[in-house]
This record gives sequence, C-alpha cells and structure tokens, in this order.
Amino acid sequence: MDFNFNEDQRILIDTARRFFEKESPKSLVRELIHDSKGYSPEVWQKMGELGWMGLAFAEESGGYGGSFTDIAIILEEMGRAVIPTPFFSTVVLSGLLLQDFGSPELKRKYLPKIGEGKCISTLALVGKEGLYSKSGVGLEARPEGEHYHLNGTASFVPYAHVADIIVCAARTSSGEGVTLFLIDGKAKGLEAIPLKTISGEGVDCVVNARDVKATPGQVVGEPGKGWEYLERLWPKIAVVLSCQCGGGMKKVVELVTSHVNERVQFGKPLSTLQVVQHMCVDMFIKSETSRHAAYYAAWLISEGLGGEKEAAIAKAWCGEAFKDVTKIAHQLTGGIGFTEEFDLHLYTREAKKLELLFGDGAFHRNVVAGRVGL
Amino acid sequence: MDFKLTEKQQQFREEVRDFLKAEMAKRIDSFGSIHLAGALSREFSKEVSRKGWIGLAWPKEHGGQGLGYTDRIIMLEEMFRVAAPIAYHYMADRQVGPGLIHFGSDYLKREFLPKILNADASFCLLFSEPEAGSDLANCKTTAVEEGDHFIINGQKTWTSGGHYAECGWMLARTNFDPNISKYNSFSEIIVDMKTPGVTIRPIINMVGAHAFNEVFFDNVRVGKEYLVGKRDNGFRQIMTNLDYERSDMVRLMQNYRVKESLLEYVKTTRRDGQPLAKDPLIRDTIAKLEVEYEVARLFVYYVAFLLDQGKIPTFEAAMGKTICTLFEAKLADVATTLMGLPGILMPGSPEALFDGVVGESYLWSPSYTLQGGTVEVLKNIIAQRGLKLGGKS
Repeated sequence: MDFNFNEDQRILIDTARRFFEKESPKSLVRELIHDSKGYSPEVWQKMGELGWMGLAFAEESGGYGGSFTDIAIILEEMGRAVIPTPFFSTVVLSGLLLQDFGSPELKRKYLPKIGEGKCISTLALVGKEGLYSKSGVGLEARPEGEHYHLNGTASFVPYAHVADIIVCAARTSSGEGVTLFLIDGKAKGLEAIPLKTISGEGVDCVVNARDVKATPGQVVGEPGKGWEYLERLWPKIAVVLSCQCGGGMKKVVELVTSHVNERVQFGKPLSTLQVVQHMCVDMFIKSETSRHAAYYAAWLISEGLGGEKEAAIAKAWCGEAFKDVTKIAHQLTGGIGFTEEFDLHLYTREAKKLELLFGDGAFHRNVVAGRVGL
Repeated sequence: MDFKLTEKQQQFREEVRDFLKAEMAKRIDSFGSIHLAGALSREFSKEVSRKGWIGLAWPKEHGGQGLGYTDRIIMLEEMFRVAAPIAYHYMADRQVGPGLIHFGSDYLKREFLPKILNADASFCLLFSEPEAGSDLANCKTTAVEEGDHFIINGQKTWTSGGHYAECGWMLARTNFDPNISKYNSFSEIIVDMKTPGVTIRPIINMVGAHAFNEVFFDNVRVGKEYLVGKRDNGFRQIMTNLDYERSDMVRLMQNYRVKESLLEYVKTTRRDGQPLAKDPLIRDTIAKLEVEYEVARLFVYYVAFLLDQGKIPTFEAAMGKTICTLFEAKLADVATTLMGLPGILMPGSPEALFDGVVGESYLWSPSYTLQGGTVEVLKNIIAQRGLKLGGKS
C-alpha cells in the first residue's frame, strides 16, 4: 500500500494550490457570491490554458489521458480555495458523462471543446423538490415523430445560465425510463434563471423547458437508459465532491488553529485551554479521515476496481464532516467568525451545499446499506 | 497512491485464514469470549509461534520475520475476525519485543526475545498505579539501587494478565532528586512475577471477569541487568512504546463479532411482517456503523503504512486509536438497541442470541475508551503533536 501521492500528482497539487492562491484571492470569492455569472471568466480561461478541463479525457477526445484522481485533486484544491467555477458541472457532470456514455459523434463534437475550456456545460437533473431519484427528474420528453419535445422544470442546475450545452435528463412520457439529451444552452424554449442560494446568487439555476426540440442525434447513449448512466457516474460525482469537502475542511482547520493560537483571553492563548484543543482535534480527525476516505475511493475508480461502496462511504462521511467542521469552527472563532470580513463563512456556505449536493449522508448511507446486503 | 496489497500480502492473508480455520476448528469452544481476558491459550500461541508469526514485524536479526507493519495488521485483522485466543503472546509481541529491540541490552535480548518468539513467556504491563492513571508520571513505585540489585516497593494496578504472565514490564522511579524533572526520574525494569515479595490480587471488573489485577511489591529484589535501556530514561521509552501499542487494530476489531451478529440479525429478522433490512431507520443506523468502521480501518492501514515508511506516527497512532475506540464504544449500544430486549441476554442464558456476545460487549464497552490512554489523553496528544496547540510540541 502507498498512501502518498506520486510525483505527477504532487506537481499537480502544487501547481493547483499556487494557481488558486494567486488567481482567486478571497476578495474575488466574495465578489463572485453576488456576481450574476457566478464565476470569473479570467480564472476559467487560465484554468483552460493549463489544460485542466481535459485532464482525464482520452487522448482521442483531445484530452491528456490522465486519471480520474487528477480531477479529484483539482476539486480538492478548488474546495480549499472555495472558488466557484463551472469545472465540476463541465468536466464531471457533463464531460465524464459524455466520455463514458456518449456516441462517438457527440464525443468528437464536444469533448475537445470542453477539454480546451471553450465550452461550459452542465447537467439538468432534479426538479424543484431537489430529490435525487428517477421520479425526482424535472423534465419530461415526449416523442413527436422523429423528434422529442422537452417540457418541465429542472432546478439546482449549476451554471445553466452561462452554459453552452446542457445535458438534460428527462422522463419519457411513457413513464418508464429517463433519457439524456444534449441541448444547446441557447435552444429555443429553454430559459435559465439564477437562484439565490446560501452559497451564491449566480451559480444554481432553475431551467424551464417549453417544447424544446431534440433530435435522436442529441440523445446521450441509448434512449431510456439515462438513469442507469447517471447511477454509474454517481460514484465519480460523489468522490470529487468528497475531495472538494476535504480541501475545504483542511483550510478551515488551518484558519481556526491559527486563530486560537493568536487569540488571547484570560491572559493566555485560547489554544492552551483543553476544551479548545479537543474541539480542534475533533475537526482535525474529520479532516484527516476524510482525505483518506475520498482518495481511496478515487483510486479504486481510477484503477477500474469498482469503488461504488467506497464512494458512497466517502460522500456520506466527508459531506457531513465538512459541515460539522464549520460548526465547530464557528464556536471557536466566536464573533469574528460570524463577520463578513473573516473567511470562515465562505466555507460554511459551501459546506452546507456540498453536504446536500448529489445526495446527503442518508442518501449515501442507503447505498452503503445495500452494499452490505441489506 | 496505490492502495493495493501486494500479491504476497494477499497470499499471506489467505494463509492466515487457512491456519485459523484449522486451529479454530480444533477448539471445542471456538467462540469463547471475544475479549482478551477470555482468549488465553498457550497452545494456540505455540501454534502461532510455529508459523513464525510471533515477531512477524521484528527484524530478522532478532528472530523476527522482518515483515512490515502492514503484514502484521493483515494477520491481526484475520485473528480478531474469528476472535482467535491470542492473549498469551499478544502484549509481548506487540510492545515488549519492539521495546527490547529498541532499548534492551544484548543480555536482555538474548534472555527474553526467544522466550517471546516461542510463546514461552507472557508479559504484563506494570504501568498504572492508584495515583497514576492518565498522569503516568505520578508513579510512586520505587526501585532503589542496592549493590547489584534494585529493591522495588510499591503498588501497580489495572494489570491485565498479571495473574498468568511470567514477566512484568515495569515503570518505577529510580531518581529521587527533587530538582530533576519527573520525566527523567523513571526506569523500565523487567520483573519475574514469581519473585518473592510480589503479591497479585485479582480485580473483578463490572462484567464479572477477572481481566486485571493489582500487584504489590514488597522489597522485591531484581538484578540490575533487568534494567531496560538507560536508567532514568524510562518515561521517554514508554512514550515510544505507546505509539506501537496505539498503532494497532484491537480497538477496531475486538468486537467484530458484535458487528457481524448485528448484521445477521437485521438481515434475518422480520417485525410486523416486514424485514428489518428494509426499514430506512435500520438501514441508516447500520450504514452509519459501516461507514465509521471502514473509515477507521483505512486509517489503521495508513498508520501501518507510516511505520513501514520508517516514520513514527506521533499523532497519527493516537488519532487511529481514537477513531477505532469511539466506533467500538458505540457498537454494542447500537446493537443492543436495534435488537431490543433479546440484545441484553448474556452468554449462557436461555434464549441468548449469538451466544450473548452483544449483551456482554455492552458491559465491556465503558472500558474501551479508557485503556491504553483515554480518548481525552489521546486528544491532548493529537492537539500538541499534530496541531502544535498550546505552545508545546
């Protein structure tokens, strides 16, 4: 067993950390919370120049043929920098979906563009209730001759308002399966309106579809198999979100330990108080265990060794851990931690969203229960 | 990153499994107590010794196999999985041997390492005292030099296995200069438990088991050649030793059978005509345990990896033990709650499920977060060594 990152991975971590430290100062992160686009086109363009969007795509699709773990690493560093970008929606939610299940034509057409950072894309999945289940899919597809008509409302769709393409999951009107359609972001009948969530005003959107037309050529994979594809993509989604949580947690532990070492009360630093030490340790344990849980699952997936159970374990653990860490952090940083000025709230916002995104703890534990034979 | 066990390690796991299958079948009471107190069998330890698996991770020049800590964890994982009776050689293999190899004189190595390797000597640890629990540096037992001997006086307590161990691994005060830090005042000494002046009194724990003892020393004469390492350096030596103790799997695995029993119970039980396994609350509760178990297990392998890299897991071992023991402390509570009243049936009771292992485990569970350093002491260590809090490092 080797728990250490290899040389290439260490270089990637180092590059990504330095990049985000330079390009995404917290002042920018604060601006982006209220920005209508929800991301910085300059940062996005530079990420594209570094080739990160195409890291894990096959070389014939214009990628670098890297491993899935590379994406997980970028997401961890993005979690640490707490910078909102369309990376997750573009590369994971639609890029990997296309790579794993799309027709050669769709791959040829879109993956090189995605890989170059020239195509923002996303996935429209759940309806207004935000439930991750087949019946919770927001859109409906009705066959009309050779074509399909998409109608309905999908919600919590990241970056739909700025997306060049949107993979739309739609229940077929016969009620059986879910089909995935690749729809142009500017398609007629499609409108995307940004939602204001606790983590920002320009990221998640509600997408309304009114008779949006799709040809059979726009179907990702086979009709009716969309939900199966999503289930197979789910472990990858769960793992990268877990890594994002891991990156965030690590930074929060650093923020808080330096605060309690500096803040003097009763004539001595807070960190000399045992109760404070133990609370810090509780955060540290969550952060350290999360790292291993997430990367173990990432490795299994990268090696093609399954990892479904481990990915569910990772998301169940890391999602709740990150949120818990921000709660302890607030208790330890007191008034200053509750201010706009202090960085902690940037993580608090993100942690709650990440806990819920693509299944909360209970959702993933239900997967684990299935895997132990229940 | 590469989480795969080597081909050799996978084969080794199979070999341990096969060995245990044969050995455990020989035993009439194949599942005795899952607790070390009830898991004593010198014959079994002899068989483990014949396989060369005592001293598995010790260097070859000291009679070990020179294998890694990961290999050792693989072996222990399998042994704990079937509750193999490893108590006779367990402590000596885990920390006495490595301690001697680190600090012991050639004489002591020659004298004791072969005995440990051959399962001819069992060790108990004589650390805790009535006034020195978490605060180990408050030891009052004294070892005063007199010619070629130390004269030992004092009282030890919570001595697991003191009633059957041939040898004791003791911490005693050897420096009485009040100007010297107490951390530089102790020495480690090996004591023959049959020496005149040693009195052992059983302490019956709340489960009703005789696991630990109090041990009294009344002018006990021990030759100076039984001093381990440097005089007055005992406290530091013990701290190193404890990292080995905590880089272990016992706190995760000792109650493995409780976890398995619970899973079997949930899979096979129906309530009001519905299978328990389909109840969302039950599923979530079981999965919570499974998540914590797997997270902790991965961390145990991580600590073994650090040791195999030649690193001392100064805070990681304490962190691993914390996670494992918090899981373990919760397990029997969750299991008894999900099983309901049948969960509190004890071993030997009519109608007992799974030999009463769940109820018994519940009674043992208050001890888990205490032994080998309480969770609070472990958190102090993690705070100071891992996070550099409180100005100490």
